[in-house]
Amino acid sequence: MIVLFIIVIVPMIFLWYVGFTDYDLGKGWDQRHSVGFSNYVRLFSGEDRDFWPAVLTTLIFLASTVSLEFVIGLGVAMLFNRKIAAKAVWMAFLIIPLTITPAVIGLMWKLMYNTEYGVLNFLLNFISAKVNWLGPQSALLSIIIVDVWQWAPFVALMLYAGLQAISTEPYESAVIDGASSLQIFRFITLPLLKPMIIVALLLRSIDALRIFDTVYVLTKGGPGNLTELLSLHVYRVGFEHTGWIGRSSSVAIVLLILATIITTIFMRVVNIARPAAVANKIEERSG
Amino acid sequence: MTSEARRRTTVRILKRVGLYLGLVVVVVAFAFPFYWMVATSIKTRIDTINPAKWIFSPTLENLTLVFAKRNFLMYLRNSLVTVVSTTLLSLALALPAAYAFARFRFKGKENVAFTVLSLRMLPAMCVVLPYFLLGRFIGILDTSLILIIVYMSFNIPFAIWMLRGFIEDIPIDLEEAAWIDGCTLTRSLFRVIIPLIAPGLAATAIFIVIQSWNEFALALFLTSFQARTLPTMSTMFLSVTGIVWGEMASVGVLTTLPVLIFSLVIQKYMIRGLTFGAIKG
Repeated sequence: MIVLFIIVIVPMIFLWYVGFTDYDLGKGWDQRHSVGFSNYVRLFSGEDRDFWPAVLTTLIFLASTVSLEFVIGLGVAMLFNRKIAAKAVWMAFLIIPLTITPAVIGLMWKLMYNTEYGVLNFLLNFISAKVNWLGPQSALLSIIIVDVWQWAPFVALMLYAGLQAISTEPYESAVIDGASSLQIFRFITLPLLKPMIIVALLLRSIDALRIFDTVYVLTKGGPGNLTELLSLHVYRVGFEHTGWIGRSSSVAIVLLILATIITTIFMRVVNIARPAAVANKIEERSG
Repeated sequence: MTSEARRRTTVRILKRVGLYLGLVVVVVAFAFPFYWMVATSIKTRIDTINPAKWIFSPTLENLTLVFAKRNFLMYLRNSLVTVVSTTLLSLALALPAAYAFARFRFKGKENVAFTVLSLRMLPAMCVVLPYFLLGRFIGILDTSLILIIVYMSFNIPFAIWMLRGFIEDIPIDLEEAAWIDGCTLTRSLFRVIIPLIAPGLAATAIFIVIQSWNEFALALFLTSFQARTLPTMSTMFLSVTGIVWGEMASVGVLTTLPVLIFSLVIQKYMIRGLTFGAIKG
C-alpha cells in the first residue's frame, strides 16, 4: 500500500501542482511561475481554441461508441445465448479484438482504411463507392468504427454472462402466460440484465475517455483537430511542437475529473451489487 | 409425417441455419481485420498494394526485414524485461494486500478498496505528464525501470482486486483448520491460500502480462530509444508516404501473437479480468 501511495498519489499531487504553473519544457524548471487558475481560465474561456472542440469530440465519441457497442454487443450476446455446437471455438473469435495490442489495432485498420490500396475501399468498389476514410469527412466515424470493433465483443461477453445467469423460470411462466418473444425481451430479459448493462456501459465510458493508442496511430487527432479527443489534446499541448507542460497538465486535470466522476458512479453501482453477491453466496452455502 | 409436422421441422432447420449464418457473420466481422494483417505480413511488396489479389504466394521477406532492419530484437528484449519484472513485482506486492482486503475487517475497508481500484481507471494521458517530469528529475527517463514503476501503478490495483475475489472464493474454514494445527498466518498463506488460488493467480499474472505488453502511450512518452517496447514500433509507420505495409503488418503480427496465445489460455477468466473481478462470469 505504501508503494502504491508513492508511485501513484505523489505524481498525482505533482500533476495538480504543475497545472497551476506556466512550466514549459523548453525552459528550465526554476523558471516556472505559479499562475493560479489562469491555465483553467484559458481553457474554459475559449482562448485555447481547441479545448471546447476537443470536449465536444470526446462527448460525441463517447456517446456513439458506447451506444453502438451496447446495441451490437446485446445482439451478439443474444445470438450466443442458444445451443450452439463448439460454442467455445466461436467465442474465441470474440476475444481477438479484446487482447490485440491497441497500437497494432491502429496499424491494422490503417492498412484497411487506406484510400487507394485498402481492402475496405476495394470491397466498396463493387457498389462503386469510395470513401476517404481518414480524410476530414469521415475520420471521426472511422475511429468510432475501430473502437466499436474493438470493444463490442467485450459488451457481448459481459451481457452473455448476464444472460446465462438468468434462470429459466421467469421465461417458462411467461410462455405459459402467452407472452410474445418481444414482450419477453422487453419485460423479462432487459430488466434482469440491467445491472450487467450498467456495469458494462460505465466501464466502456471510462475507457472512451482513456483511449489514446488507436487514435494516435490512426490520425494523431487529425486531420486538423477533427479527431482530437481530450487525451490527444493533452498530448498535443504538452508534447508535440509546444511543450507547454503547465497548460497541458490543466487539460489532464479536466480529463482526470471527468474520468473520476464516471469511475465514482461505477464504484457505487458495483458496491451495491457486491454485498448482494456475497449474500447470495452465503445463502447458497447454507441452503 | 403430417404436413404440419413437416412444416415445423422446416422452420426449425431454417432457424438453425439462420443462427449459424449469424455466427459466421459475427466471427468474420471480428476476425477479418486480423486475418488481413496476417495475410499482408506474408505478401510481397507488390502484392500488398493490390487488395484484389486474394490468392498469393507467401513470402517471409517482410519478417526477415523486420529482424534485420528494424532492430526488432532490442524492442523484444525491452518488452520482456519490463513485462516480466512488472508481473512478478505486482503480484508479490498485491498478494498480501489482497489477503488483507479479503479476510480482515477494518474501518472503511470498502472505501479504501474502491480508491485503490479507481487508480486503475486513470487515463494514461493524465499520469504520463507527472511521471515524465519526475522521471526527468530523477534521471530515469528512457530506462526500463521507469516503465516498470509506472506499469506497477496500474497493475497492483488490478491484481489486488482480482486476487481478493479469488481468496474470498475459498472457504475460511480451511484456513482455520490450518491455524488450529499451529500454522502461522504467513505459513497458511503460503501453504493453504496460494496452492488453492493457483489458477486464479496464474490468470491474474497473464492479465498483467497482457496489459503491460500492450501498453503504448506511457512507453511512447517515457522512453525515447534505449528502453522502447514493441507497441511503440508502430510509430515507425505513421508517415503517410512510403509506408511499407508488409513490414508494418509483420511488426503487428509479431507483437500480438504472444498476447493472443495467452488470452486463449485464460478465456475462462476473460470477463472477470476485464471487469477487475467485479463480475465473476
